[in-house]
Amino acid sequence: MLRLLIGSLMLTLLARLAWVQVLDQNKPQQSAGLTHLGDITVPAPRGEIVDSRGRVLVGNKVTHVLTVDRSTLQQQPDQGAVVLARLASLLRTSATDLAHRITPCGVKVPAPCWTGQPYQPVPVATDIDNSVMLAVSEHAERFPGVAVTSQTVLAYPGGTLAAHVLGYTGAVSSDDQKKNKSLDDADTIGRSGLEQSYDSVLRGVDGTTSVPLDARGDPAGPFSQTVAPQQGSTLVTSIDADVQALAEKSLAEQISTSRGAGKPATSGAVVVMDPHTGRVLAAASYPTYDPSAFVGGISVADYQKLIDPAANAPLVSRAIAGQYAPGSTFKLVSLSDNLSNGTMSVDGTYPCPGSLNVDGRVKTNFDSESFGGSITPAFALQVSCDTFFYAPAVSEYYADQSRIQANQKPLEQLQAMARAFGVGSSPQVDLPADEQASGSLADRQSRLDRWNANKAQYCADAKRGYPDEKDAATRAYLTQLASENCTDGWRYRAGDNADLAIGQGETTVSPLQLATAYSAMVNGGTLFAPTFGWGVVDGSGKVVKTVSPKVIRTLPVSKKYLEFFGDSLHFQDSHSVSGALAFDGSPIKLLIGGKTGTAEVYGKQDTSWFASWGPVQPGAAVGTAKFVVVGMVEQAGLGSSAAAPMVRKVYEGLLGAAGKPMLPGSRPATTLPRIAPQHLQGPSTPKASTTASVTASASASPSPGRGPSTPSQSGTPDAVPTASTSGRRR
Amino acid sequence: MSTLAPARYPTLRRVADPRRMRSYDVVLLAAVGLLCLIGALLVWSATRSQLAASGGNPQTYLAKHVLNTGLGAVLLFLAARVDARLLRLIGPVLYLASVIGLLAVFVIGSTINGAHAWIVIGGGFEIQPAEFAKLGLIAAIAVLFGQRSANRPAGSPPAARELLIALLLAMVPLGLIMLQPDLGSALVVSAATFGVLISAGVRARWLIGLLLLAALAAVLAVKAGVLAEYQLARFAAFTNPNRDPQGVAYNINQAHIAIAHGGWFGQGLFHGAQTRGAFVPEQQTDFVYSVAGEELGFVGSAAIIGLFAVILWRGLRIAMATTDTSRYVAAGIVCWIGFQTFQNIGMNLGLTPVTGLPLPFVSYGGSSMFAQGLAIGLLQAIHRRSFSAQ
Repeated sequence: MLRLLIGSLMLTLLARLAWVQVLDQNKPQQSAGLTHLGDITVPAPRGEIVDSRGRVLVGNKVTHVLTVDRSTLQQQPDQGAVVLARLASLLRTSATDLAHRITPCGVKVPAPCWTGQPYQPVPVATDIDNSVMLAVSEHAERFPGVAVTSQTVLAYPGGTLAAHVLGYTGAVSSDDQKKNKSLDDADTIGRSGLEQSYDSVLRGVDGTTSVPLDARGDPAGPFSQTVAPQQGSTLVTSIDADVQALAEKSLAEQISTSRGAGKPATSGAVVVMDPHTGRVLAAASYPTYDPSAFVGGISVADYQKLIDPAANAPLVSRAIAGQYAPGSTFKLVSLSDNLSNGTMSVDGTYPCPGSLNVDGRVKTNFDSESFGGSITPAFALQVSCDTFFYAPAVSEYYADQSRIQANQKPLEQLQAMARAFGVGSSPQVDLPADEQASGSLADRQSRLDRWNANKAQYCADAKRGYPDEKDAATRAYLTQLASENCTDGWRYRAGDNADLAIGQGETTVSPLQLATAYSAMVNGGTLFAPTFGWGVVDGSGKVVKTVSPKVIRTLPVSKKYLEFFGDSLHFQDSHSVSGALAFDGSPIKLLIGGKTGTAEVYGKQDTSWFASWGPVQPGAAVGTAKFVVVGMVEQAGLGSSAAAPMVRKVYEGLLGAAGKPMLPGSRPATTLPRIAPQHLQGPSTPKASTTASVTASASASPSPGRGPSTPSQSGTPDAVPTASTSGRRR
Repeated sequence: MSTLAPARYPTLRRVADPRRMRSYDVVLLAAVGLLCLIGALLVWSATRSQLAASGGNPQTYLAKHVLNTGLGAVLLFLAARVDARLLRLIGPVLYLASVIGLLAVFVIGSTINGAHAWIVIGGGFEIQPAEFAKLGLIAAIAVLFGQRSANRPAGSPPAARELLIALLLAMVPLGLIMLQPDLGSALVVSAATFGVLISAGVRARWLIGLLLLAALAAVLAVKAGVLAEYQLARFAAFTNPNRDPQGVAYNINQAHIAIAHGGWFGQGLFHGAQTRGAFVPEQQTDFVYSVAGEELGFVGSAAIIGLFAVILWRGLRIAMATTDTSRYVAAGIVCWIGFQTFQNIGMNLGLTPVTGLPLPFVSYGGSSMFAQGLAIGLLQAIHRRSFSAQ
């Protein structure tokens, strides 16, 4: 009986075993929820930024990345100690260091450690050279778990070309992820410049590589690409690489020349704009920096160097984020005001004394020059007579004071005209809002607001008397100023209005703003929001978006007055126009018009300006000009001695004074370039490992730049500081 | 008679002596040895990748398992040296010792996997008295029937009084085991007891009555909530494994997946995806058979069942070749190993409910290895006695 019982039990087991293992055709499958398909984000390559002729300004390059698969190492008899030792000697580091870096971060795992997914092969070296790659791929059996994969990073074929405009990218922060849930830790995000303002089109769609995971979370099968990454769209800009290079070269040379002449020439900018669209062909800023420093993360030390005032903060775009007293270039605004409100007429004559007593202060012309008697507005512009513009500004001021006495609102017409030209409000250029200067000007209300805010400090300073200041004269001056500010700081004086008329005092603009103002003059009164972006082309080569010129407003100035301004300042054979001196001997001299500016800055050398337009054939309307070029060199002296010679070089290159014109037809491009469909998808992976390697571009930025201990992520600023100098009353 | 002769301890030399080996059931020994060897490989495979992944020595479990097996072998040969006639003396001692052990669990025991069944003795080892209680109870009841049968006419079935005493003897350890609670061991103890009753010739109607009584008790136990929550859950999962794939039925599902994908020849030792991935919990102990299923396939897994069949066949052969106490002990041991094997492999194959029972000679675990070593040793002792007497 027992024999029967036992026998039947064993036979039952055998039968069941045969059914489960062999006969049953519906074998149970491991459910997806239990296999934990591990996803690794494959960051999409960013879209390219190209110039108006399709030439790459920001591209991509494929770098080789060495990754280590921890689970494969764990399966080695020695837990991978030998492999790590071999790898360490190859990478000139220590095996301990490698071991730390591939260990997933945890409560008890201090940095350096791996911040990514535990199952994800850890990148231990980026941009590895061929010898390392070959050593690993040719001896794969000596390096189990080690793989060579590829990674796409930004590349700058032009080096520092247009660095400030292009901007840079940085690692995604948790704040970014709060705003945009689709962002992955491995992604990069535009942090500045066009990279930031066009981030949504430049950032592609991340791909996914998946790996089946076992119950422990270790890879249990080969990696496979489940979703291919999709590169971002191409941004076509209005920048012309040749013009940009020309502007940067001219700027750098002028800085060098000015310094050679004993001027500090700390910084400068050149803006080349299409006056009929507001598109920017070039925006040069000096000093500049290499944007590739940001690729893969920048160290805090390197970042500090870029914003260090002692090194002139190369990161700050002088052309767009800097604001400076515009000096006489501002007379465009003053004359527009004078002609529009009828205080002057184009053919009237008005005095230009060597000096003028304004509200008890003597204000002089440059070098107290006098042109005797009365002169026309055209001549006043050409010789840049300051006193000529003081008188109407002072009259305006007293008229307003009378209105205030009569309980009326002051008109502040000069301020209104300045605002119409864009001073004091964002230029609305298609760059991050905090990277564009608005410029500034003073009026009664702003003076009162500031006084209310700072009164206590002024009075305290007046009382204390700047004991830290060594120079007695300066000390006296500052104390006197504080004392005046304490009691009368709220007053907006006649002299302030006079300062405004010649672009001094608290008046500031950015070179870009001045270019838009002069463009409005050239085009007959349309103030554009300047643009760098021109079109967006998707991966198939199709134009998906065109950035149309954006009109901010039409100037409240008759076109004939604007033309009068332009005509008055068109260069003649004589030296009557101040800037023309710098163009002596140039074959293109008679095609150019421009206004110099020499802005006084307290405690510093003068800011040299030149705002210009061309080419305009002699006798032709100013509106035929194809370009507006604004040049600015800080602390470089007269406008005609630094900015104008610099701009001359730009024109000579642009118009082909010494050969072929730089641009086809000597005009800004009018149609978007054809962009070839993208071919850069997943760069082929050089296989080099016994383990499966990530086939598309590997995820995760290079480990040296990532991780909790390295400060790279925090090194990316939220706001780029703006440089600002403005004239002060004296 | 050598009962009073000074104890002669076996030495390796003596044990390995071919002349002495002839007195052993070599087929039984070989089957047990082969199972132990397979068991060591399976335990190694089930544990090495997890140990490696957690940064430990991948051979830790293997080493402990080999040590346990070695100790089990020593116990086997020690028990084999015992004169089978001494069982009458040893039976009650074993029984008492195991009852004391079971009681001790409630004082100094530890809870593992929901059962308060272990006494931790330090050094990473713990003892599960229930394993030894199986042997103790078999011996005690066998002795009881053996003594009584001497006083009645040959061939006549045990009286009702003997049966009642036997049942009372069984109730004590059974109750203590149920209190732990360890349903699996209780079932095995019951099966073994039943085996002894059958071999002792207890009347068929009584046996059937007992089975009905047991069934009734089981129903009442469920109704009255005597069974622990997890035990009921295991049964519920057994009836419908897909109801809760992440929880109780997880084990069943994962073991099923592992075994099903073994196919004819398996995925190869150390190469089972489920095993390497540690999908099957308790895989070195209760679910060690799923390693065999996945990595050795039908051929290997069927061979394991075959080896058990050989062991059971040799055990029954030994039982048939002797009488009285020896016979009952042998039959009890055969029922024990047979039922536990069926229950363990059955739950791996989704045939029986999940109860915490190791696969004899194969699963990782010292107590079961030692108890089974003693059991096989006793079988050998009985064999030596009866076959050398022929």
